[in-house]
Amino acid sequence: MTTLTPTPQSWLRRRRGLLAMVALLIAFPFLVSIIVDGQGLGAVIANDQGNARFLQGLAIEIFILAIYALSYDLILGVTGLLSFGHAMFFAVGAYTFGIMLKTHEMQWVAALVVVLIAAILQAFLFGVVLVRVKGIAFALVTLGLASVFWIVIQSSDLQQWAGAEIGLQGVRAPVWFLDTTNERFAFYLVTMTLMILCYVLYLRIIDSPSGKVFHAIRENEDRALMLGYNTFWFKLLVLVIASVTASLGGVLHTMHQPIVTPNIAGLGFTVTALLIILIGGVGTITGALVGAAVYRLLQFYLDRWFGAASELLIGLAYVVLVLYLPYGIVGTWRAKAAKRKEGWERLRTLLSPGERPTS
Amino acid sequence: MTTDTKQPEKVSKQRQRADWLLENRARVSVLAALAFLFIVALAGLESKDWFPTIMQGLSVGALTFLVASGLSLIFGLMDVLSLAHGEIFMLGAYVGWTVYTRFDTTVDATVPLLLVIAPFTLMPLWQRMARWLRTLGRKWHFGIWILGLGVVYAAWYVIFAAGDADAIEGEVSGAGAGVTIIVSLLFVAAAYGLYRKWRSNDGSVESVKEAMSLTSWSLLALGGGAAITAMTKFPLVIWDAEDFAKSPSNFAVQVDLGTLAPLPADSFGWPALVAFVVLLLGGSLIALALSSLQTAIGDVAPLTRKHWTGFVAMVGLAIVLHLTKASLNEWVFGLSTTWRFFLAIAVATGLGFAVGAFIEVVLIRPLYDRPIYQLMITLGVGFILIELVREVWGRPEFTMARPAAFNGTGEGCPGQGLGGFFSGCSTVEVFGGRLRVYNEGFVVLVGALVLIGVTLLLKKTRIGMVIRAGVQDPEMVEALGINVRRVFTLVFAMGSGLAALGGVLAAPSIGLSSGMGATFLLGAIVALAIGGLTSFPGAAAGALLVGLLQQIIIRFGQTGINLPFLDEPFKPSPTVVPAAAILLMVVILLVLPSGLLGRSER
Repeated sequence: MTTLTPTPQSWLRRRRGLLAMVALLIAFPFLVSIIVDGQGLGAVIANDQGNARFLQGLAIEIFILAIYALSYDLILGVTGLLSFGHAMFFAVGAYTFGIMLKTHEMQWVAALVVVLIAAILQAFLFGVVLVRVKGIAFALVTLGLASVFWIVIQSSDLQQWAGAEIGLQGVRAPVWFLDTTNERFAFYLVTMTLMILCYVLYLRIIDSPSGKVFHAIRENEDRALMLGYNTFWFKLLVLVIASVTASLGGVLHTMHQPIVTPNIAGLGFTVTALLIILIGGVGTITGALVGAAVYRLLQFYLDRWFGAASELLIGLAYVVLVLYLPYGIVGTWRAKAAKRKEGWERLRTLLSPGERPTS
Repeated sequence: MTTDTKQPEKVSKQRQRADWLLENRARVSVLAALAFLFIVALAGLESKDWFPTIMQGLSVGALTFLVASGLSLIFGLMDVLSLAHGEIFMLGAYVGWTVYTRFDTTVDATVPLLLVIAPFTLMPLWQRMARWLRTLGRKWHFGIWILGLGVVYAAWYVIFAAGDADAIEGEVSGAGAGVTIIVSLLFVAAAYGLYRKWRSNDGSVESVKEAMSLTSWSLLALGGGAAITAMTKFPLVIWDAEDFAKSPSNFAVQVDLGTLAPLPADSFGWPALVAFVVLLLGGSLIALALSSLQTAIGDVAPLTRKHWTGFVAMVGLAIVLHLTKASLNEWVFGLSTTWRFFLAIAVATGLGFAVGAFIEVVLIRPLYDRPIYQLMITLGVGFILIELVREVWGRPEFTMARPAAFNGTGEGCPGQGLGGFFSGCSTVEVFGGRLRVYNEGFVVLVGALVLIGVTLLLKKTRIGMVIRAGVQDPEMVEALGINVRRVFTLVFAMGSGLAALGGVLAAPSIGLSSGMGATFLLGAIVALAIGGLTSFPGAAAGALLVGLLQQIIIRFGQTGINLPFLDEPFKPSPTVVPAAAILLMVVILLVLPSGLLGRSER
């Protein structure tokens, strides 16, 4: 009964989980507003204070982290490039957009074009390195490049543009739908749409013939070369895609946070991406979204309960994850798919009155 | 006849030289360019500036080298780039500071630690016991699991939930209650899972293995819980004082303010004997658990008098330390600060060694077949160490007083010439420039001694030979019947010890902060990459280069560089200095992917 040509209905059916998630995310602020705050639906649109507004802010942070982690998963998880400079990809987007808007007073579309050019240029910068060094040396060079950026961005020489150690502040929202303080729900929808778009796009890229080559590079680069693929161009392509995506995350970060601190360029923020995809499952793409949600909520609640000790607990959780759950949530879930199905079957036979399990 | 034979030989030698030049042309030209830049830079300095600048460069280089040397050996031998190395450096500095400034706290902390570690000397006993555990019936195993679970829960409750309940804000304890309920439910679920596991245990090899590993973890939980519970009842200067609870997480600041009053000797939460016994028991359980976690226990060595002597010595030392605490503290505080500094060096280096060995055995060893995860786990360990230091010692930066031998002032100071280094002054004047004896004399001296010592160790001893062979081909070394894993542990521990030594040395000259580890790790990685990742002399050369470059740039930052296209001289601020070294690394790696002295990959 299998049809070889996919129909639109079958596409929708295959993506029903995603569609349900989108519907749930759109409904989420309204639900919170009604159930927790006891306010009406209009309160969300009118941007009233309350749990709905606060939780939307938290969700926006999760979306931004998810976009950022998605791009890292493409580099590290799918293509197997060990880059320790990923925070720079994010920070370049954040700082470029902020500086273009604030100091140069550009139109937001023009600023976005500048960010796009900057993102592609920095991907080329990493790409130049890629020709010469591989493996651990690549990790070191990328770490080095990102550290240079981090050091430069918080030096007092660039105070008037980047704001030195305090960071970039006072960037005004250029259009109404990027205004997180006055139009929280619109911004929420914008970030969510962008995240979903990136996610679907990434799934599509990985399913494409080029995506297969990315996997091949991770598994055995020499073999991919032998098969006639010039792996350099594919790796460069991965870097460009990831850089543009991460910069997009950075742009949204600039819009959402009142201050863009230099922390987002440091090694710690790369570790955040690493932690997120470890939680979700390295190389699973979906894991980046799950991981971002788990990570941000964990961080938020641990900080609330344990205060300063929360960072220590996150570090411990990280070590435990690396040691005992190397495939992450999504990876483990997929690995157990057969067993889960078996369990459901058994439950169904137990519940159905007519049949008794043999033995 | 003789001329005939000589002639071709000479030609071939020339050709060899030419070949060597051709092969290493990139290397030679990079070295030439570096030397040229160095000379230009020094020529641009005033004559009284260049000697201090070089010496300061050597000083920073020596500290970087102490971190880089261990990193290089570890990376060469086991392909692990330990990103926690800078944090061990930092830990060394903080522990050294504590021994130096608050010896009483150190004694307080040493006693319980000794008691917990003492049972590890009786390893054959625990191994035999672990073997016996495997023959136990299912019911016993189940009992141990449930007990372990209960202890974890109780320890969690005592440490977090109970502490949370008397917090200032009512809201926090409400959240704490919520967590308690969730965690309780989790524990019930875990108990149910254990019950299922117990039921399905059919006596096959796999199920026995699974049961044993669960039992080991439960034993670990039991031992750890016992040890932690007893330690909280132990009188520790940093733990008990009530004002510490009022303004938490600031050991260092309280020391500075003098509000950290020493406790009375008999302030045990329990009778001393009970605390001692529980600590010993906890240590024994941990040792038993660790030995039963080994999948295969081979031939167990007989328990000899040597083991017992070690055990009795450690327990005896702990008891003697505890009983003579007051007079010991008095004696040590009566010593000159120089002796206390050397004591701090010894303690911190030893601790770095122990921490390194622990990290290798517990965290790195299970991951040898997953190299990227090794890198990630060292990153995580570094993160934890930073947070630990912040929790215990507090966040702000602070300094350590220089020991008396390097802090002399008064008559005849500053000393003159090279001989002035031994005059006991804090500063010395050489070639018209002023140097600090500690920073530019002692630190450089120790760095040079370590370089010579490690080189001798590598070249002249048997273990050094094994290490060098292991860098080239670990599998072959293993095939020759040498226990490479043990060498791995030793090298990791040694490298960590050297890093901790560097930390103590750095404390009086550059001060302590929770960011110092990251700074020096970056410097060390740069040095390693410049010198060639697996080459030990390369690490030394790279560290030297990094130190010199940074100091020269700092010096130029004060005077300004006259760049051709700028009207004003360009003055880089001190914060951008590390960037220069990193850029140098990037350039060198792009020209020479295997570094200055590394083996080139073909």
